[in-house]
Amino acid sequence: MDSVGKGAKLSGMTEFAIRKSFPNLTGQNFTITSPETPEYNCIAWAAGDMEAWWWPDANNQYYWPEEVPRNESLRAFKYLFENLGYQECETANYEEGYEKIGIYRDMQNKTTHASRQLRSGVWTSKLGSIEDIEHPFRGLDSSDYGSVFLIMKRPNQS
Amino acid sequence: MSDLAPSFEMMNIEEDNSTIGPDFMLVKRHIEDLATHYFKPLTRQWTNPPIRFFNLRSQWEKDTAMLSSITEIAMHPSYQQIIGMGPSVIPLILNEMTIKPGHWFWALKSITGEDPVQPKQRGRIREMVDAWIQWGKEQNYLA
Repeated sequence: MDSVGKGAKLSGMTEFAIRKSFPNLTGQNFTITSPETPEYNCIAWAAGDMEAWWWPDANNQYYWPEEVPRNESLRAFKYLFENLGYQECETANYEEGYEKIGIYRDMQNKTTHASRQLRSGVWTSKLGSIEDIEHPFRGLDSSDYGSVFLIMKRPNQS
Repeated sequence: MSDLAPSFEMMNIEEDNSTIGPDFMLVKRHIEDLATHYFKPLTRQWTNPPIRFFNLRSQWEKDTAMLSSITEIAMHPSYQQIIGMGPSVIPLILNEMTIKPGHWFWALKSITGEDPVQPKQRGRIREMVDAWIQWGKEQNYLA
């Protein structure tokens, strides 16, 4: 999926709309890398799952690991990734032998998004119900997503 | 819904046609906006639940496409208005799901008080959609 390539699908939500939502993205610094799909979200994508939408909704309708508290606090999201072997770290710089994720928080302190660093050093994100993109670390800072509040890393799994 | 308001399902435009260029998508969006504006007047909306549903759905999809939080997605004012329309929207939602999978599960559970999705299917959108469509058939909301 990482290598589907730019323009894998030009859906209703195209580059133009993505750039409009994320002012730090330009025509040159991000790439659409998947078709549009509602079948997984950013949290699942950061966790390496493309088959389910992960969210700790109060209605108990979406996937959330049973061992992780089902609430939308940053602590719950941190615990989710700790459960996957990640530990909090200081920087977003690429470190050989490690994979990193970033958890975003908006101005209301709501957890909004997660992204994952690729071995190339660039970051990958699933945008809601639309496409995956590759982008710079600060590329998704915006009013909707807020910015990265927590960076975590774990040894490469493969 | 589709017999009252223009939609791209009606026009048989394949969303995942990789040969479609950005210019075409721009034209498509303009046509969609025109349709939305035509059906916007409240007098047209309130007398016709499908038209109202179509307008609310369009706004909701546009505003929440890039969100991951189901809470934020479901708390969007348009989505809440759809829930407020009550049982009349159940067949509209179920028909919509047969065309395009989406996050209608919260609305359906709120309106019907039911949840046919098994715990092991949680988050698996296709399986969740299939469970609701099956439920819709059993309840005679779908043929």
